Amino acid sequence: MAFTLYSLLQAALLCVNAIAVLHEERFLKNIGWGTDQGIGGFGEEPGIKSQLTNLIRSVRTVMRGKKKNEWNTLKF
Amino acid sequence: MHPAGAAAAGTPRQRKWPSKRRIPVSPPGMADPHQLFDDTSSAQSRGFGAQRGPGGLGYPAAAASPQEAFLADPVSNMAMAYGSSLAAQGKELVDKNIDRFIPVTKLKYYFAVDTMYVGKKLGLLFFPYLHQDWEVQYQQDTPVAPRFDINAPDLYIPAMAFITYILVAGLALGTQDRFSPDLLGLQASSALAWLTLEVLAILLSLYLLTVNTDLTTIDLVAFLGYKYVGMIGGVLMGLLFGKVGYYLVLGWCCVSIFVFMIRTLRLKILAEAAAQGVPVRGARNQLRMYLTMAVAAAQPLLMYWLTFHLVR
Repeated sequence: MAFTLYSLLQAALLCVNAIAVLHEERFLKNIGWGTDQGIGGFGEEPGIKSQLTNLIRSVRTVMRGKKKNEWNTLKF
Repeated sequence: MHPAGAAAAGTPRQRKWPSKRRIPVSPPGMADPHQLFDDTSSAQSRGFGAQRGPGGLGYPAAAASPQEAFLADPVSNMAMAYGSSLAAQGKELVDKNIDRFIPVTKLKYYFAVDTMYVGKKLGLLFFPYLHQDWEVQYQQDTPVAPRFDINAPDLYIPAMAFITYILVAGLALGTQDRFSPDLLGLQASSALAWLTLEVLAILLSLYLLTVNTDLTTIDLVAFLGYKYVGMIGGVLMGLLFGKVGYYLVLGWCCVSIFVFMIRTLRLKILAEAAAQGVPVRGARNQLRMYLTMAVAAAQPLLMYWLTFHLVR
């Protein structure tokens, strides 16, 4: 009964965070959902699996923003 | 203005979803196809202006003098002019930017209803079994306003039904001595949260199944909001006749909403082949059929979940 808009917001935030912190090399590649595995040709039907991988990759790209290139370089 | 084609088969363009049924001639009473609301302003002002002319001459001299004395002062005149220009600027700014956040013009379409439409739609929600033709009529590529077509979705009934549901929930809680004012807010928040969750889940499923549909988000909110009507009926009957009445009416409304959703969504999601009633084999259409069934089955479940604690 205590399912409020606030708990929905919390759940959505936690889900997005979970997608953002997934480690590609350890988990996704083992399942076969890595971003460089099988994007597929330009066939008619993308299929659910490739749609899901695209969605996960898009969420991670949006969450990471522009700073991905600067992680390895130290800026003073 | 090019005339609306008689049959949609005449257009040579390739379509992904079925040919939209076009109205061959303008139906009576619809002067301008893109006009949502009747414009009664000119008739009224003309009538009143003629009335006020001869009869009002005696008034302004007497009643306006104290105001005129106030306004004759040039400083206050200037202040009033400045204030009104500020207000006009503010209004202009708001009007320019409001469309960025809330699509006002799109929303106006969903509220273009009249009493006949509301009556017929409520009847359809409670008894959808005899209705034959579920397709929305189009007029030159834009859907016809709800007041002219009973199959078009609207937001008036869901919004009113939602508010009535909150009030009826308060009433039910009050008759059981369980009422406190914050419970109303809790009910509203809970129902809205379930609605948002449903909309997000359906949008996600539509994206994953790559369904090419013209079902917009606001359309979805409208269709998912129709279940509040059944919920209100169930709770009211439960208040009057106890649990037996509640289960009877809720069961009837659940089956009606199930049939209504399936018949409406079938035309939107399973647009290509199954709209003519032919069951098509193939993985894609099967998944879409499952999605339609899942959406329709979720409605009775939610209707029960949101109301069973109100009826004791």
